Amino acid sequence: MSVYKRGYQRYSGQLTTPWARFLVLPRYAWRRLYQQRLVLLLTMLAFVWPLVCAAFIYLTNHAELLQGLDPEFRQFIQVDGRFFSIFMYVQAGFAVFIAALAGPGLIAPDLANNALPLYFSRPLTRWTYALARLTVLVGMLSVVTWMPGLILFAFQVGLAGGSWFRANWTLGVGMISGFLVWLLILSLVAMASSAYVKWRVVAAAVSLAFFFILSGVGEMIDQVLRVTWGHIIDPAWAVNQVWCALLGVEAPEGPGAAASAVALAAMILLLVLVIERKLRPVEIVS
Amino acid sequence: MNPIPVIELEDLKVRLGRREILHGITCRLGVSGTGKAIGLLGPNGAGKSTLILTLLGFLRPIAGRARILGVDCAHNMGDARSRIGYMPENDSFIGDMTAVGFVRQMAELSGLPQEAALEKAHQVLFHVGLGEARYRELRTYSLGMKQMAKLAQAIVHGPELVILDEPTNGLDPAARRRMLKLIAEMKNEQGMNVLVCSHLLRDIEQVCDEAVILKDGAIVHHCNLEEERRSNRSFVELEVTGDDGNLRAALPEIGAEGVPEGLGRWRIVLPPGVQVDAIWDLAGRQNLLVRKLTHRRDTLEEIFLKAMGHIAHTPGEAGV
Repeated sequence: MSVYKRGYQRYSGQLTTPWARFLVLPRYAWRRLYQQRLVLLLTMLAFVWPLVCAAFIYLTNHAELLQGLDPEFRQFIQVDGRFFSIFMYVQAGFAVFIAALAGPGLIAPDLANNALPLYFSRPLTRWTYALARLTVLVGMLSVVTWMPGLILFAFQVGLAGGSWFRANWTLGVGMISGFLVWLLILSLVAMASSAYVKWRVVAAAVSLAFFFILSGVGEMIDQVLRVTWGHIIDPAWAVNQVWCALLGVEAPEGPGAAASAVALAAMILLLVLVIERKLRPVEIVS
Repeated sequence: MNPIPVIELEDLKVRLGRREILHGITCRLGVSGTGKAIGLLGPNGAGKSTLILTLLGFLRPIAGRARILGVDCAHNMGDARSRIGYMPENDSFIGDMTAVGFVRQMAELSGLPQEAALEKAHQVLFHVGLGEARYRELRTYSLGMKQMAKLAQAIVHGPELVILDEPTNGLDPAARRRMLKLIAEMKNEQGMNVLVCSHLLRDIEQVCDEAVILKDGAIVHHCNLEEERRSNRSFVELEVTGDDGNLRAALPEIGAEGVPEGLGRWRIVLPPGVQVDAIWDLAGRQNLLVRKLTHRRDTLEEIFLKAMGHIAHTPGEAGV
């Protein structure tokens, strides 16, 4: 029978689990985000570098193809911590732009259209809403960061064998955890800018500016005060310090990985507080 | 077993910023599962919306307790929210979604499986009269259509209690009639309990079985409208020219009570059995020229005037 002939009757069936309800927001958000051509194009572009890296891994594991090359150069091109750190820098850059494009469309429309009371009058708390929005971004960015990284790592293990894995398994763990820290920072910055700036384009600009401005301020502190710790307020720099420690690569001069990790933790806490203040079903003016 | 009230308030105090909005409200409203409507009335700033936001768990009381369908609003709302539908007063939607997508998403968030949510979204949009426009983006809707879309998302999951905050705001007379008809159907045919918050007495009078009147953050009256309707009082809106300074004192002669509204306008409540002719006679005796007189059966108008302190007592009541 056609819907319009059936008439409305109250739903009396089984309700879904809290986990299924949690995934409703990410499902709808992913569907909408991947309908944006720019997001889709950037995501596809982000797969070019992992393909190049895969070709590189293939080459380094096939000595016969490299026979004509200089021995020093053959020594230089190896799949090690430096290789994965270069892979991570490029993918992290793509992640910044994808987060800036996709992030503002997550919370800003809900705030602009006053949709939060509708969400929060359902079995969805503020924290689950924020976590669901975070899942959208972390999920999207994972597709272009640690997931291809893990595939590359598995590819290398497949070609180089178990002995390489036993000697280098920390690279895989370091890469995934390093990426996750970066994705968390990126997603929280995008969400915070989306929560405060209702206009999407401006929110995207703010989330990009966040990184550039802090980088500039860090540099300024170093130059003016003639110190080396100013960069710690630059999230990209601090994340790089942590990555270097995780991948066993030489880090730039400045505060070490532990200090950088503390700075990043403080930044994450601050961003969570900023988002928490804004995600309320009603705004109370004292 | 005691029936569970739809809403139960115990000395509820709520503060917004530094201002206390609700001052220790205590009452039990409705009975869960009976399909009755409760009207929440009061002038602007009385605390109606604050009470609703507290019931939804959006605001935390500073003292006392609020329960909705037996669940404490401040602590344990989680799954109880699947049993509640809420239609806010202001525009609330996601502009770049179609109505069917929006209502379906809201149904899924309330716990309906995907297929059921889609089916119910279609059904409810036809039910509220948006069937033909259900694939249009919500931002292209008129104000009346947006109100209906808000109602659709509030009832799509078949809640036990629907909370409607000013549901007829901004509606033209035809759309208002349709909204009130839908509310009546929700309780009579679907067995939902409905809490209607409004400052429009006629809306409440038309659809509600019980009414609570709030003033300055306190309950000033709580009544069963069914019983009040039986009292058969009537209400007169009068406009006169001439010196009407003595009219208020003269009204008790015919057992009526009235409130002057300035420029010769009066709101008068007649007791049962007194005909409108008595007003004509009284106006004649006072040398007043009647310019306009409208007369209708009304229960809430009198209750509201009394609750607001505009009239001292109910006309025709013994002992007055």
